[in-house]
Amino acid sequence: MCGIIGYLGDDEALSVVTAGLANLEYRGYDSAGVALGDTELTVYKRAGEVDALTEILPESTSHTRGIGHTRWSTHGPPTDANAHPHTDEAGRVAVVHNGIIENYEQLRERLSDRTFTSETDTEVIPHLIAAELDAGKSPKEAVKAAAAQLEGSYAIVVTIAGVDSLFAIREGSPLIIGHAENGTFLGSDVTAFLDHTQQVTYLADGDLAVIDRDGLSVYRNGELVDVAVEELDWEADAAEKGGYDHYMRKEIHEQPRALRQTISGRLDTDRGRVALDIDLPTEYLESLEEIQLVACGTSYYASVYAADLFESLADVRTTVEVASEYEFSTNRDPWRTLVVAVTQSGETADTLSAIRTAARAGARTLAVTNTLGSTITREVDDTVFIRAGPEIGVAATKTFASQVATLALLVVLVGRKRGALSSERATSVLDSLRGLPGAVQQILDREDTVLETAETYADSDAFFFIGRRLGRAVSLEGALKLKEISYDHAEGFPAGELKHGPLALVTENTPVLAVLTDGARPEATLPNVREVQARDAPVIGAVSDTEASALDVTFPVPDLGVMEPLVTNVYWQLFAYHVANLKGRSIDKPRNLAKSVTVE
Amino acid sequence: MSEQEVTAVILAAGEGRRLAPLTNRRPKPMLPVANKPLLEYVVDAVVAAGIDRLVLVVGYQRDRIQTHFGDGDEWNVEIQYAVQKKQLGTAHALEQAKSVIDGPLLVLNGDRIIDPTVVEEVHAEFTETADPAVMAIRRSSDPSSYGVVTLEDRAITDIVEKPVGDSPSQLINAGVYAFESEAIFDAIDTLSPGPDGEYQLTDALTVLLADGSITPVRYDGRWLDVSHLWDLLTVTGRILDSSETADDTGVSTGPEQPTTPIINENAYLSETATVGANAVIGRGTVVGENAHIGPNVTIERSVIFPDARIGAGAVLRDCIVGANARVGDNATVPSGDSTVVIDGTAYHPTGFGGVFGDNASVGGGVTVEPGTLIGDTATVAPGVTVGGLIADFETVRRG
Repeated sequence: MCGIIGYLGDDEALSVVTAGLANLEYRGYDSAGVALGDTELTVYKRAGEVDALTEILPESTSHTRGIGHTRWSTHGPPTDANAHPHTDEAGRVAVVHNGIIENYEQLRERLSDRTFTSETDTEVIPHLIAAELDAGKSPKEAVKAAAAQLEGSYAIVVTIAGVDSLFAIREGSPLIIGHAENGTFLGSDVTAFLDHTQQVTYLADGDLAVIDRDGLSVYRNGELVDVAVEELDWEADAAEKGGYDHYMRKEIHEQPRALRQTISGRLDTDRGRVALDIDLPTEYLESLEEIQLVACGTSYYASVYAADLFESLADVRTTVEVASEYEFSTNRDPWRTLVVAVTQSGETADTLSAIRTAARAGARTLAVTNTLGSTITREVDDTVFIRAGPEIGVAATKTFASQVATLALLVVLVGRKRGALSSERATSVLDSLRGLPGAVQQILDREDTVLETAETYADSDAFFFIGRRLGRAVSLEGALKLKEISYDHAEGFPAGELKHGPLALVTENTPVLAVLTDGARPEATLPNVREVQARDAPVIGAVSDTEASALDVTFPVPDLGVMEPLVTNVYWQLFAYHVANLKGRSIDKPRNLAKSVTVE
Repeated sequence: MSEQEVTAVILAAGEGRRLAPLTNRRPKPMLPVANKPLLEYVVDAVVAAGIDRLVLVVGYQRDRIQTHFGDGDEWNVEIQYAVQKKQLGTAHALEQAKSVIDGPLLVLNGDRIIDPTVVEEVHAEFTETADPAVMAIRRSSDPSSYGVVTLEDRAITDIVEKPVGDSPSQLINAGVYAFESEAIFDAIDTLSPGPDGEYQLTDALTVLLADGSITPVRYDGRWLDVSHLWDLLTVTGRILDSSETADDTGVSTGPEQPTTPIINENAYLSETATVGANAVIGRGTVVGENAHIGPNVTIERSVIFPDARIGAGAVLRDCIVGANARVGDNATVPSGDSTVVIDGTAYHPTGFGGVFGDNASVGGGVTVEPGTLIGDTATVAPGVTVGGLIADFETVRRG
């Protein structure tokens, strides 16, 4: 998982590339580098964040062609040598790469007469290209011939000394071209160049792109092809921090706005109907036997929430599978199985792999994603966008809320079409969805009390999150959020499971955060709360009925039916944020983690 | 005077207590007028005047402001924030911006709607003259409520805050200034706190006036302020009349609407609001983001904040419904003349129905007497008739 950028144009490449790297840093930040091209190549690279690289860069240079990379290690630790760009022995070819070259060991053996300076899989690529150039091939043909020897998933950008072009090939990893007045850009995603242009071209797998002073040429199967230029509708501003210390806190506060966008124009509360622009015929839904939700991380927990709603409201058997574990079992009828992939970025490699497995088996596929033009949207039969706007913080916050809300809309649509959900019940669910932005705002208005709670409990030994039904999904997500950014031991459990093991870990120094709202069977969870209180553990409870019970801290949740656990999650987000912030953690870029994980 | 780039400092740290309950959760500059916060009108005017570097001084509930304006890219300008931790007056507020300012500055209030011309003219006058300070002045029919300015030979000789008795002139301080940064910050340094413990910018003006001259710039354009809750309705009406919100008016009535609601051309519906069948949205009405107007509702000259919901058949006149408030089916706010007591002072607004605080919940069939203020998160049981003041979080049951 890495971020790459390339630029060729009128401006000074160094500043364009480093600014792009800063925007891409959420994709990886354990090392970074740039290569500037002219008749010779100049390479600067360093372990650490982009800021560390900036220290060794010159103030300015005259180059107008450059490539850059920000790395999240997969092969070889983060060191200066392992940082990209990588070059051949003569320093004539420089390459940045995102993805994995699976056959790099064989290729390295084949190139054993050449000297390698890093432990990366990537370094074989410049050596291969140099070998093809040595054999007399033109630069374009050399890049093409080198790529033909690679197995795995990759997006690469190549610059060659004395050649006033950039070359790029994509196979399974994202790569997008940006067309601006001041030149042409390449990026792992649009944030790399969103400050310069919103005119983009998406490359297909196997495309060879050549960028020169006249712009972009794309070769597909050896033939020059016309490619479409599309206009993005994301604003660059939406991805900046605006007075907040961290993107995460900014994004937590953006949830009411994001949720309004998510539901806008999609619900008719007066008649209990939903409008989602997707093709799911009533006959198909009536014959449906199973919905399979596949996702990773936070998206997985959003799916756990939704699965409960599918079962209880749409009366359809629903399974949730971690995408990296997904298989399409032979005892299922693919025609009667709907596979829904949930991924914020639309580039998550595990989820892409799972949805391909499902499609191969013949199942109908649907993606729920935040990212227009992402790879997954081109792999599935239909897509529903969650419309949360760009999310930069590595810890997902607003996209979880928008994913659950979007999936709930899908639940109502499926339930209504299958005849399982009465219009009256649908109206009440849609009313709850409509009430989400206002309810979430009320939690945000209580941030001070969450901060006080975080101050009281930040130094605890561990944190346990418990809840039932929809509260279970939120407990799992709450624990993930805390461990991701505060590095504390945090675990989420179905409340009833405590006594079957985890209770052994509970002490007076392990706060228990309990979801005690509608949709989470609070009456059944209260005895579990008493169990931990009997072991002197402090209990922080989110409750819809504030008169309920003696807890150490009580967070009130407004009346919102099946959406109350989702509203509770905002308290857990703020709690995780403030615990991590009190400990001075790198909240937007937690150690070892990256925003969208494009390796399996 | 200076070749340096000017920074506009907008003071937006205040709470606006007189506007409770609507300022319980948001600062006064974030009160929406025609679906846009007051502060955004100020930002728009500054941007339209060609200023591209802004500092917002924020304090009370500053997250609301920062979430809305971000880094300023939406306006193609650079917005920075200076935080006033304790509200100790306007001079103290301005002082918080000192560390991020380098060069001349324009100063404006974040809660008063003005035209770009006043910003342009004050800036132009400052650039042309050698004076360390320029301020906009205007004529007022009620000068003694403001800072009264005395002129001699087109030069300011005196500024008196809210004079008692006969006002020395009809001219008042319009609250738009340009300053040489050293001059204003030195003047602020010399201030001692007023009787209320606050440091006021107007006192700093007196210091500047003693040291030299302040050049006046005459401005008689738009100058709209929300002093009291009911002013929100008047100011909204003025903005809708000038129809400058027309650029992004969108009407979304939900999927497959069977009967089109009737929406007056002088009303504004945000894009994500929904309106039920046969509803009538009359003149001077604004419906905020994700607000829902049920079927057969009649609304006239009212402001519906984001996420609010109006139940079927409700009739609302001259009222303000706070964010996420619920108004039950067939609730009625008839409006009329009333007496409203705020902080011990009685006011007599005409044509004022009432206010529903944020998250308030009013049951079906409730009648709200003219001038009623329903508190934040207050609850009113169905069928009750309510009037006067209902405290925040209070529950009014039958009887």
